[in-house]
Amino acid sequence: MTGLAARSRRARGIAGLLGGYLGLAIVLAVILVLIVAGVLPPRRWAPFGDVRVWLFLLEGLWVTVQIGAVALVASLILAVPLALGRIALPRPVRWVVIGWIELVRATPVLALILGITLFMPRDWLAPMWAATLALTIYTSAVLAEILRAGILSIPKGEVDAARSLGLTYAMTMRLVVLPQAFSRMMPALVSQMITLVKDTSLASIAAVSELAGYARSTHSFFGNPAETYFLVACVYFVINYTLSRIARRLELQRAKEPPVVVPVGLDDVAVPRV
Amino acid sequence: MIGQTIVDNLGLFVQGYLTTILLSVGALLAALVIGSLMASMRVWGGPLLSGIAGFYVEFFRNTPLLIQLFFFAVVLAPRNLGITADPVIVALIGLSVYTGAFATEAIRSGVLAVDPGQIEAARSLGLGQVATIRLIVLPQALRTVIPPLGNVASALIRNSSVAYAIGAREFLFMGLLVTSRTFSLEPYLGILFGYWSLTIPLAIVLGRLERRLGFAR
Repeated sequence: MTGLAARSRRARGIAGLLGGYLGLAIVLAVILVLIVAGVLPPRRWAPFGDVRVWLFLLEGLWVTVQIGAVALVASLILAVPLALGRIALPRPVRWVVIGWIELVRATPVLALILGITLFMPRDWLAPMWAATLALTIYTSAVLAEILRAGILSIPKGEVDAARSLGLTYAMTMRLVVLPQAFSRMMPALVSQMITLVKDTSLASIAAVSELAGYARSTHSFFGNPAETYFLVACVYFVINYTLSRIARRLELQRAKEPPVVVPVGLDDVAVPRV
Repeated sequence: MIGQTIVDNLGLFVQGYLTTILLSVGALLAALVIGSLMASMRVWGGPLLSGIAGFYVEFFRNTPLLIQLFFFAVVLAPRNLGITADPVIVALIGLSVYTGAFATEAIRSGVLAVDPGQIEAARSLGLGQVATIRLIVLPQALRTVIPPLGNVASALIRNSSVAYAIGAREFLFMGLLVTSRTFSLEPYLGILFGYWSLTIPLAIVLGRLERRLGFAR
């Protein structure tokens, strides 16, 4: 422990990087052993030398991106009234909002996806959008909780100050509280995006062809499921690892930022009596 | 009668429910073992072991569980590695490895949350490295680690439903079997209530625990 503390930060960073590459090397070595042992023979990797296979998978990735993007935007929009409802609505209505958020968060996403795609008439909503709806219902409940934590972390004095300056409750929320809450929830939001990207793969179980569905078509054509799933996992990894680095950077930025300070230079402003 | 379709197929529901509990408890225990091991490597293992554990965490956290389960199902199958064809065992292995990555991060952050001054104090009082970890770091880390591990457990119960995709006869599988046979909403609601009966009590207990541990600190 003391040795670790004494080591310079820079050396640790480089060593950590090397360790990361070593981990990658070990995975590649295991794959290589499996290739030599005949579990993953070279001929089953061969199709991935053809660019058309990758273009095919890219089509699936495009569907994944569409589902993910629509679900993300819709969830963000829905999360605002849910979070505000849980904080500010009068009791009996608030209980309904709390119950909804908690029940949805306690449900497996796959059960939601399969339920909605099963019971939603196809001429109302195509399976792809039914799955997107299910992902939206789940993600909006999670984002509502993240946003609520962000709102509650804003010092109460700011609301008081805004109200005493004559802003209405709605204006206070829109101009003072929500912008700060959104900025504070950014790291958690990006982390939730990773979960969302992973969860889009569940749509393939409901016969929606996104990346995982295209992977199934690919391997049933070439007869190479293990190889295909490994490479498709790598595609998901590249997307999500990038997102996780962004989340990490946002977190570090937040830590460096000075704490939010309420401006006190209000002397020249006539403060109305409340 | 209300609930008739569920009562008629109670055997299937119970069997699925028990399988889901088995998957969740089994994978949780395995994930805790993996998580403790990997978190130790990450914190005390030096650059190489730490890097390997870090790679494990990042890879398994950032790829979909579904793809991992499909991969394991193929690789472990008799015609490949010849380990198992039983989807429940494949799901158990896959869920353990996936959840282990999240458990690693939860345990690691708990260990790192212990004030370094405590470790320095213990060391300068003459405690060995192992004694310091066992007597000073772990008891305190346990407290910070319980809420995030609880969230990991809750996610695990819900994630165990993905085993449906590789044909494991767990709760979602059985519930959907009944749903598709009767094509009524009732068995589907049964699925939701079944999962809620596991995840909601856990959430309530965790909420209380978190408040109590929060006060204790």
